[in-house]
Amino acid sequence: MIRAGIDAGSRSIKTVLFDTERKEILASGLADQGVEQERLAAELFARVLKEAGLGRSRISGVVATGYGRHAIGFADTTITEITCHARGVHWLAPSARTIIEIGGQDSKVISLEDGGRVRDFEMNDRCAAGTGRFLEMVAARLEMNWEKLSELGRQSRKPAIISNVCVVFAETEIIGLLAEGKPLPDVVAGVQNAIATRVSALAGRFIAPPVYFTGGVALLPGMARALEEALSCPIHVAPQPQFTGALGAALSDGA
Amino acid sequence: MNASPRKLTLDEWDDRHEQLRRDGLREPTYGGPLRRHVVRDRNFRLQHLQFDNSPAALRLWNFLLTENQRLHQARANGDKLVGAMKDLGTVPVMAYSLPSMRAFYPDGAWWTPCLMECGDMLLQQAETMGLDSSFCPVRAMLPAFEHGGHFPRPDLLVCSAGAICDDFSAIAQRLEHLGHPILWWEMPRRRQPDSGETACALPGGLSAPKIQVDCVRAELGRVGQALGELAGKHLDDVWLADGIRAANRVRRTLESLRRTVYAAPAAALPALEMLVAEMLAIHFCSDREESIAVLDGLLAEAQSRARRNQFAVSADAARIFWVNPVADLRAMNLLEEIGGRICGTDYMFTHALDLIPEDLPPLEALARAALADPMVGPASDRAARIVRECRANGAEALVVSRIPGASHCAREGEIILQFARREIGIPAIELEISPVCDAMRTGLRSRLQALVEIARDRRPA
Repeated sequence: MIRAGIDAGSRSIKTVLFDTERKEILASGLADQGVEQERLAAELFARVLKEAGLGRSRISGVVATGYGRHAIGFADTTITEITCHARGVHWLAPSARTIIEIGGQDSKVISLEDGGRVRDFEMNDRCAAGTGRFLEMVAARLEMNWEKLSELGRQSRKPAIISNVCVVFAETEIIGLLAEGKPLPDVVAGVQNAIATRVSALAGRFIAPPVYFTGGVALLPGMARALEEALSCPIHVAPQPQFTGALGAALSDGA
Repeated sequence: MNASPRKLTLDEWDDRHEQLRRDGLREPTYGGPLRRHVVRDRNFRLQHLQFDNSPAALRLWNFLLTENQRLHQARANGDKLVGAMKDLGTVPVMAYSLPSMRAFYPDGAWWTPCLMECGDMLLQQAETMGLDSSFCPVRAMLPAFEHGGHFPRPDLLVCSAGAICDDFSAIAQRLEHLGHPILWWEMPRRRQPDSGETACALPGGLSAPKIQVDCVRAELGRVGQALGELAGKHLDDVWLADGIRAANRVRRTLESLRRTVYAAPAAALPALEMLVAEMLAIHFCSDREESIAVLDGLLAEAQSRARRNQFAVSADAARIFWVNPVADLRAMNLLEEIGGRICGTDYMFTHALDLIPEDLPPLEALARAALADPMVGPASDRAARIVRECRANGAEALVVSRIPGASHCAREGEIILQFARREIGIPAIELEISPVCDAMRTGLRSRLQALVEIARDRRPA
């Protein structure tokens, strides 16, 4: 039996096809999010099916998660990203006790019990400072993509201190730092630290090792390091972190 | 008329009301179709709510939404009107003890921006009066006082001071500065008696030193004197005792209603109507006798549904304990839409739900009831009661909803969450809900839905 999970995030849509008998991921794919969420998700789903050489009839169920889950009309059911990230990460790393997920427009800290059940969660969806949106703003301001941004961050020797917790005002600080001649890598690392500090404030009472980092922002190597420093504990980046939500959806009983 | 429980939109209520009238529904003078509150009073939010379909719920909504008109009518009939601010349940008991006197709750204007979807501009007007969005939406009462158009100006304005929230103090002080004299009475911050101090038992299982009870009793005596002067009568113990008994009649009915709806395996009435019903405890929605009739109707409906095994919310719904009233009523609908139900509440005025002792001198009893206010004591007291009720009603999760700008205890939500997690280990979240939460609905829905998923996932297999 093959199940599909679709994670309709704020920046991108992710799809995972999961074989429940062989217990393996058969295929996955990612596309940019846009206004026509359902069409984009349907196109991605069709593309992933085609790449996997599967027909739609082979799929026994589709579960949608993520910010835009309710827009995915062809899904059989919807489940929140909290539950789906928990299921996805637990399948990939059964020992995980804490999940930090930094997405495009929110961040979450999820506390897991033995067996992968969610104990509790905390979520920031009111402030961009602890989300990928902050990095997007910096990347746009510096006219570079995320990969380049990450590379720059790694070159930092003395990260700048971004004191403002508001992204809008932090942008002013960044402009000021650059005008003062602060090296670009230090500014980027400063931004990563600012995000990590924000997330650590959210995570405070939940942190129990092992801590797994997931979501698209986890792909930036500097972010995991910044989180390790902010939380004073090792951070493991989940395998294919951008797909854990979609994987969790595919693993869900509702499919 | 006893249709199966169902949620109705405003449009559906139009048809239902017509049908009920044809079937012989008898309504009080303030009755009528709910639609008129949109057309006449511009309460646009009603168009986005889902209502219970019972005649008892119709009466409740009409009672709530005609309060200002009923107050104007009472004024025209010669009744004295008392604005009882902040104490949430004590001064109204005293005011209603006197004939031809009504107390109302000007702070209740905090729901007006929600009901009118901010079309009244009260919050914006409050801003021009120096109270911006960093203050609680209660600031809406300021322009309501200044410009009229809502409640009538009271003959006497009474407000507690001291151990009350900073926001409210600032708003009430500004109100007085704008030319609305206030009779202030002191409310000390409740504390545990020191060793050697005489302790007094308070409603809700609390206690306070006798010196604090004496202080509040003296302050309420001063309030009672002012009320008596306004009425041209002496507010004596006989009248007060009668007033306490009548208030307890409301509280007993509410207790039965809460037990019938919250403690049962399934909810006989929806969360939204229960929220409004509980609010009647504060000042009887400006008509004590009618509030008893409204609550009796709701209780009879809930009991009838329970007997018929018909419920407003699925028995499978996750049992949520809800702390603090929501600024946007729509949030209560949302909880049930995503598979939750209320199994207990603490809407900040649990002291107005507890019975006032009838075996003590009336002012002493009222002082003890006032001191049991969850907002005048430590957050840990409030958290302990919440945990106790969560246990008693089998709560599977806890929601603490915050009101933007409200700051009576900035960290109280966190303290309650930590206490609940530690003591009963249920998932708990804090939500901020603005007066019109449409823009944040997606995020709100996700959080609530996640909580419901977790609660269900934790059920024994």
